[in-house]
Amino acid sequence: MAEVRLENVTKMYGRKIAVNNVSFSCKEGELFSIIGPAGAGKTTTLKMIAGIEKITSGTIYFDERPVNEMPPQERDVAMAFESYNLYPHFSAYDNIAFPLRAPKRGERLSRAEERQRVEEVAGFLGITGLLDRRPVELSGGEKQRVSLARAMIRKPEVYLLDEPIAHLDARLKFSTQTALKRLASKLGITIIYVTHDYREALALSDRIAVLRRGVIEQTGTSEEVYSTPATDFIGRFVGEPPINLIDGEVITKDKKTFFNAGDDFTIQIRDELVGEMEKVVKQEDNKRKVRLGIRCARINVAKDKISDNSFQLPVYAITHEAASTLITFELKDTFLAAKIEGRVDYDMSEKVWLDFDQDHVLFFKKTFEISKA
Amino acid sequence: MSKVTLNRVWKIYEGNVVAVKEATFTCEDGEFLAIVGPSGCGKSSLLRMIAGLEAITRGEILFNGQVVNNLGPQERNIALAFESYALYPLLSVYENIAFPLRAQGLRKSEVDKKVRSIAETLDLTSILKRKPSALSGGHAQRVSLARALIREPNVTLLDEPISHMDQRVRLEMRARIRRLHDEFKTTTIYVTHDQGEAVALCDRLVVLNLAEIQQYGTVDEIWNHPANRFVANFVGEPQINFFDGKVETPHDVSVPTKKGKATFKFTGKVDQKYVGSEVAIGVRPQQIELSPSKEEKAPIPGSVELIEFQGDSAILTVKLENLDNTEIKVVVPGERVGSVGETVWPEFRPEIIYLFDKETQLPIKRT
Repeated sequence: MAEVRLENVTKMYGRKIAVNNVSFSCKEGELFSIIGPAGAGKTTTLKMIAGIEKITSGTIYFDERPVNEMPPQERDVAMAFESYNLYPHFSAYDNIAFPLRAPKRGERLSRAEERQRVEEVAGFLGITGLLDRRPVELSGGEKQRVSLARAMIRKPEVYLLDEPIAHLDARLKFSTQTALKRLASKLGITIIYVTHDYREALALSDRIAVLRRGVIEQTGTSEEVYSTPATDFIGRFVGEPPINLIDGEVITKDKKTFFNAGDDFTIQIRDELVGEMEKVVKQEDNKRKVRLGIRCARINVAKDKISDNSFQLPVYAITHEAASTLITFELKDTFLAAKIEGRVDYDMSEKVWLDFDQDHVLFFKKTFEISKA
Repeated sequence: MSKVTLNRVWKIYEGNVVAVKEATFTCEDGEFLAIVGPSGCGKSSLLRMIAGLEAITRGEILFNGQVVNNLGPQERNIALAFESYALYPLLSVYENIAFPLRAQGLRKSEVDKKVRSIAETLDLTSILKRKPSALSGGHAQRVSLARALIREPNVTLLDEPISHMDQRVRLEMRARIRRLHDEFKTTTIYVTHDQGEAVALCDRLVVLNLAEIQQYGTVDEIWNHPANRFVANFVGEPQINFFDGKVETPHDVSVPTKKGKATFKFTGKVDQKYVGSEVAIGVRPQQIELSPSKEEKAPIPGSVELIEFQGDSAILTVKLENLDNTEIKVVVPGERVGSVGETVWPEFRPEIIYLFDKETQLPIKRT
């Protein structure tokens, strides 16, 4: 197993920058995810690590060796892509066993050893019953798991997985994700995992890099990326429900600092937070504007006034989870949602009190416009 | 508005393929009801029969007590919205919404008034001039809903209307759809494969599997009193944990451990005849709490095998070594995740224990 390190890696297609000065290191034995929306440069980054795509500038290291000039077959990486690329005339078994039979890999396995390895990986991914089938006899989700098994069968320096479970239905995704995480921690393997689905990334990863328009906006553990997103974009991209983002005005009165987002929506910002907030305040039309972020679970809602700093809004709609309630409010240019434990019910348009837990209030520079769905 | 009643409705396709078997339920006037089940369970056939798009093989469908079996879709005055929006690509948003009214031959001023009013409700006023090709998925579905609702239908039928949208949009659309229902008080039937969506939106659920209704009830009834193991498994993510046990007394159940057995109390009591019988014990991951030390309600230690972080919460896979290495899932708050390898003591409190008959798959009755 190897550590993979990218140093100031850039990829240009003509004049277009696909990956812009990206640096990170995926440590040995780590499951490192690269997440971001479509077109962020995730797959390009992965392909450069694999050696299928040339690097425009910067250096990729495997341990301390620069591998920029090393051809893919010498890098000893295993890959699984969103498209399955299975050999159509081979059974699932033969597809999975294929990398073991390739020459140059040194160790030649006996039939019995080979079967044992294939069955072990297949068992992990829940496809033992499908090994005799050909790709045409498999569903999309089944093919994807065969493709993943084929990647996982070898013991390369590093595994590169690009949306390897994107085509599975929700329940299966869930169980395959668990199987994959377990396989990774059992074998202690190095995995670089690309996905657009933050849920997979949060659940699986030791660390995550969030890519947007070719640039890394944050690298951190799942907890860090979720609880302290570095940008408004990350807060919105990671987490369900996504973080609430509210654009408002900063007002200073009698040495107190307030955040106002229209009508009754005014809260006093705690002194300790003012410093952080000031860093991202922007002057706009003679007003001091800032974007406030807060997770749904950090907003308390009640019929009666909660604190001196709580304010009232009319309920827009109520939806439920089995053990919690999501209360939605409508603001001028966005919806605001609060998540309350248990099942509560309010009437439509009923005015209720909201209270923000300021230990979990964040302030951001505005990097995109919010719109309602 | 209408009350919709299905009375022993069957749908049998050619070759004796039973798609819907003896479906009986009522969607009350103004109710928001979900029909939910895995793919192929018959939910779309059911919806199509209610809409009048599919003939009913046997049984009756009634709107406000009137049999509508032989009425066509127009005569039933139904609003339909599907996953695909089916907007007219050459018409503007305004014209798309106005279309059903123009077809009815309504006066121009009347049409305008109604279009503007529904556009206001659905927050479409600013995009009335756009063409469908310039709309996002959320917008397009709202236009499609506006067009469906402008005729003031008896019943609104929604078939996976937002299942293909991305997460954030979906959550906001859920709020919008619920709001729309609360405002118009339309009788709404919502078809989805996604139990989470059904639970989020609806007052009551019809859970369907293999052409048959498994349960018909409120979210609370379905969550707390599942009619069988299928329903218990279907609702909730992660799914309910099951392990084998034995009824010891009418209010205790035991599980075999390395050292003998561990006994748990459950609420209520079962009939004496069950004492000694093997049962399946169900415990929901969302209801288990973890204790840092051994307690009466937490007699079995477990080791944390896997942590899957979710944001506000995390899913732990906990291996119960004494219990034949059974693995259970436990949902914990995001800030109390702990670490892999840690020893924890899952609390099986009396009120979170479900008991099922291993043969019939039915819950064991408790009093």
